[in-house]
Amino acid sequence: MSSTIAESSNGAESAVLDLHKKFIETNQPSPDFLALNRKALGQFAKLKFPHRKHEMYTFVNTKGLASAPFSLKKESSIQREFVEQHVYAGCERSHLTLVDGVLRPELSDATALGTAVMVGSLAEAIKDKSVKSLLQESIESENDVFASINSAFMTQGIMIRVGRDNQIEAPLQILNVSTGGESGPVMTVPRVYVHLEPLSELKLIVKYVGEGDNYFVNSVQDMVVEENATLTHIQVQADSIDAWHFSKNRVRLKRDSRYLGYQATNGARLVRHHNEGWLSEPGAELVLNGVSVLVDDEQSHQFIRVHHEVENCTSHQCFKNIINHRARASFDGTVVVNKGAQLTSSDQLINNLMLSDEGHADCKPNLMIFADDVKCAHGATVGQLDEGQLFYLRTRGLSEDVAKEILTQSFARSIIQEIPFAPVVEELNQTLLKKLEAN
Amino acid sequence: MLEIKDLHAGFEGTEILKGISLSINKGETHAIMGPNGSGKSTLAKILSGHPSYEVFSGEVIYEGKNLLDLSAEDRSLAGVFMGFQYPVEIPGVNNAEFLRMAYNARLVNEGKDELDPLDFDDILQEKMDLLGMENKYKERNCNDGFSGGEKKKNEILQMAILKPALSVLDETDSGLDIDALRVVANGVNKLNNENNALILITHYQRLLDYIKPDFVHVLSHGKIIKSGGKELAHELEAQGYDWLTTTN
Repeated sequence: MSSTIAESSNGAESAVLDLHKKFIETNQPSPDFLALNRKALGQFAKLKFPHRKHEMYTFVNTKGLASAPFSLKKESSIQREFVEQHVYAGCERSHLTLVDGVLRPELSDATALGTAVMVGSLAEAIKDKSVKSLLQESIESENDVFASINSAFMTQGIMIRVGRDNQIEAPLQILNVSTGGESGPVMTVPRVYVHLEPLSELKLIVKYVGEGDNYFVNSVQDMVVEENATLTHIQVQADSIDAWHFSKNRVRLKRDSRYLGYQATNGARLVRHHNEGWLSEPGAELVLNGVSVLVDDEQSHQFIRVHHEVENCTSHQCFKNIINHRARASFDGTVVVNKGAQLTSSDQLINNLMLSDEGHADCKPNLMIFADDVKCAHGATVGQLDEGQLFYLRTRGLSEDVAKEILTQSFARSIIQEIPFAPVVEELNQTLLKKLEAN
Repeated sequence: MLEIKDLHAGFEGTEILKGISLSINKGETHAIMGPNGSGKSTLAKILSGHPSYEVFSGEVIYEGKNLLDLSAEDRSLAGVFMGFQYPVEIPGVNNAEFLRMAYNARLVNEGKDELDPLDFDDILQEKMDLLGMENKYKERNCNDGFSGGEKKKNEILQMAILKPALSVLDETDSGLDIDALRVVANGVNKLNNENNALILITHYQRLLDYIKPDFVHVLSHGKIIKSGGKELAHELEAQGYDWLTTTN
């Protein structure tokens, strides 16, 4: 199989295939897992690295990423103090640490979660047929080439399952630490599968940090939220400045379930979030909010697909980007309302605040509606600080610089304040907002 | 306190104020009335230092200084307050925090230490009690989602906090129902004293039933066409502006 793939591929793709051979030799996955890895590699070869006009990568130049000679990280050591410094208050006994994509039990503590939450490796969890078939289905229907690379190289992964009618008090943090490559760029592939059984609730905070440079963290999260369950999912991207960060979130929502997603992006060499949600039974609700503050040459891109498959579902999206210097941001978001999805309520709002002449923002909000009784709204703005607001503050004795700082921070704060976990709000007030002060 | 001398000013090259002269002393309240388009709001914008408005000729001397040389923030720090006709909404900025920043800017300018939120809260609470304002003005974001009346009350709260020497209230009564007007007017009256001065710009005589001016000036086509005591306002109410504008 791999030889036929290799024949039809160019240099960048062959490099991935070669890397995969080495990966299989070194890791020797179990037969079941190997089958999934190989299936994903086949999907990768079909999708190929995106060219400039690829509809999913219209605004993102991945050329440098695809051609970088990545290797896979083997053993990495990390200081416990480094981990402790990044564990949020309240998660001291409910955090899982992944170093370069691999769960490290000695740096994790899940005792506060109790027996209601099952945490294990995906390699183990795929013995359950339903888990395996869902993973298989995700891999076969994968539309994003980088996510297919994750599946081709995934090893253990994490499986989190919350049992029926269990509302987990302790917030669960997943800390993704990348240690970077010393002799060249390295790729890591964190993989998380979250399954909330009916009526259960979980607050999941995923933070990405770098302890070194020169890495590509390519993560995928599959989430299933069953009947009347609630998943709160907060992502904080705080990688090293020269990192590539791609993450794909796939959310499947059942009847009356809720997914509340919040994404804070500190920026890096290239950040791309791919969020895809399926509201597949009536009463499901999806919320996705994001804020990014980008300076220098940082980039952050959002690609979103929300599928309203049935009637009476709700989705809200609100994204705010602050762009300074030569930074770039893009938003490509589509809400698809299927034929039978009557009484859908959906809104999508993107605001970009440009602080420099060299910054760049692309926006493509999109609605595809095939039902006739729905309420859908979308809007996008790209602009500078409001002159009227600036003047108002100045007439109260605040200098122009201070007035600008207040208005810029308030733009980001309106999203930050909404994040339902105080330690993250406090952290972002220190990191994201401080980034604006320094500039 | 304020001396406006033959002021010609406007917007985007168009002359709107065509030679205004006005003298205002401590302790005085001056009402400037006039029909729509007479230049009332332009005068307010010029006094507050709005960057889109330009002065062609004339002078404005405030406490011996050329006011027109000062930036908007320096005018505020020097004691000039502008009450906006349409106060701007600032989402994401807590109103109490905003008021504290404005208050502290003044303290710093006077070479004093800034107040922390707790100490400032005592001052804020005192002013809110004085004006009969509810707690929501502390909790909400600055003017964000406020009704027209709430926005105007918030302007008066800012005036109370900043204790300006000269206040220019631009159509503070417009869009207010009678209850809101009473609250706003009572607030202004409580803040008025012999050491400060007030310019009330208004379209309606009704405001002057609640805030008694010492002088009334009628502005038409960019000029003051008549000045008098508060009885002039009543004449205007009874006869409209036409009798003045046609005789000029």
